[in-house]
Amino acid sequence: MIKLIVFICGAIVMSFEILGSRVLAPNFGSSVFAWGSLISTFLAGLSAGYYFGGKAADRSPSTRKLSLIVLCPAILFLTFPFYSNPVADWVFDLNLGIRLGPLLASILLFFLPSLFLGAVSPYTAKLAICSLHTSGKTIGTLYALSTLGSIVGTLATSFYLITVAGVKVLIMAQGGALLVLGGILFYANIRCEIPEWLKRPDEKHS
Amino acid sequence: MGFNLSPSPSLTHSSKPSLVTVMPLLTQTIFHPSTTISHRHPGIACTPTRLSNPRHLCLLLSLLASLWLGAMVPSQSEATETVVHRENSLYQYLLVLEDKEKNERYLVNREKTTLYQGGVKLDTPDQLLFEYSRISFLGLAYLKQLPKDALFIGMGIGAMPRFMAKHFPENTIEIVEIDPAVVNIAKEYFSFKELGQMTVKVEDGRQFIKRSKKGYDIVFLDAYQGETIPFHLTTREFLQEVKARLNPGGVVVSNILSPKKNKFFTSMVKTYNAEFVNLSIYKGKESSNYVFVASGQAVTPEVVWNRAKDIQDGRRLGIDLAAINQDQLVSSLPEENAEILTDDFAPVNLYQHMEEGQP
Repeated sequence: MIKLIVFICGAIVMSFEILGSRVLAPNFGSSVFAWGSLISTFLAGLSAGYYFGGKAADRSPSTRKLSLIVLCPAILFLTFPFYSNPVADWVFDLNLGIRLGPLLASILLFFLPSLFLGAVSPYTAKLAICSLHTSGKTIGTLYALSTLGSIVGTLATSFYLITVAGVKVLIMAQGGALLVLGGILFYANIRCEIPEWLKRPDEKHS
Repeated sequence: MGFNLSPSPSLTHSSKPSLVTVMPLLTQTIFHPSTTISHRHPGIACTPTRLSNPRHLCLLLSLLASLWLGAMVPSQSEATETVVHRENSLYQYLLVLEDKEKNERYLVNREKTTLYQGGVKLDTPDQLLFEYSRISFLGLAYLKQLPKDALFIGMGIGAMPRFMAKHFPENTIEIVEIDPAVVNIAKEYFSFKELGQMTVKVEDGRQFIKRSKKGYDIVFLDAYQGETIPFHLTTREFLQEVKARLNPGGVVVSNILSPKKNKFFTSMVKTYNAEFVNLSIYKGKESSNYVFVASGQAVTPEVVWNRAKDIQDGRRLGIDLAAINQDQLVSSLPEENAEILTDDFAPVNLYQHMEEGQP
């Protein structure tokens, strides 16, 4: 379950980033400035998410709290079509220039969702780790799955999804996926289990 | 990552075929409507190798490649073009090439390509070298009277605005080009000058259109990134924004590079038709370019012919616009298997690479 969450959130982050370029283009073009703004905003959101997600994870972590972290971007995604154009148009009208314009629009539209999706990573790591003996492997696996998900999200979106459906439908579909995931998490109770191979040596010696 | 407003691609003839040791496999010309586009093909550079018979190998590879691409014409051309200038700008790779034999200069985006973003014959710099740019001026015949305000989106080497300034000096001409390097190249290597009532603005075309408060009688859309129109300049919303800047009776002229009548072409037709009452399309004979002329009122070809005659004679254009109107008007505009392109859904990159009739 934890692995699936990490994979899906990784996929959605990058899919959203690719779609974000389409959201920006009508007002800000698809120049190197627009892409630079977009990528740095996502990285900023993720790093803030890692930091605050990690901090939150140390205060009595639970799957229910994790579900809230997933449900927040779900709501942002599902309502995205209603606020994306007004926000982009508003920034466009501020006339901030070719660099600041797309940067501000990116921050307003993409920072919060990527923050929440970023927070998923340390939070799930905390839930999945129960022994310091295996923490390296657990974290490594989660990193790998998250990035693998990102690759799938990037390729699926840019190669395929963008050619079969509209940007807004795709973003809402991702919101739907997060909603389902958050719903399941809300009622699930994930606890880590100490792997068998860690138990046995103690049992033998005793 | 697609960027914007670069100049105006045209696929045109290039150097005469001849044999040399180093011969890049590149098709030089798109002669026939059904000919497959070739500039996208990676090209097999046949350099002499240690193999016993490199030329045979080369021929074989050429043959294989041409089979693969169907109607591609494998030409063995001598590169008579020399590089005059090369530069990596914020938006693209830019090369200025010169063909000494033909005394022509071109602006291109790649080392080995037949996709020209602009070109000029050096001894007649005021004439339009590329067919699509000549056809584009037929757009004037869709206006009730001669234009006063013209807008060009996508500058290239500035050949079209220059032509307009020469033959219609009473016009105000605005040019929007996203890449400042293109503007500099036009000035430095193609003797472009901002004369009298001409202004060049460095900006994304769509952003310019959205911010502009002015009205235009004729808008030329010719913004390309390589062989592709940036998607945000193909959509219905963009056309609506352009329409909002047209004076009553105004006309939009659009250069649409499409070697096939595939889903990209049909979708462009459908999108323009969705926004404009009248859409006339002219097909290039020398290249894979189509010229779309779109306006808010229907005009018969006869009326266009008469006006074209008046304009070409009155302004001594040196272009037989009336003949183009008669010979190159596309009679049926296919709209089956097409999507209206919108800001939300515009997979132009995919559509461009489709075959004809492929859904």
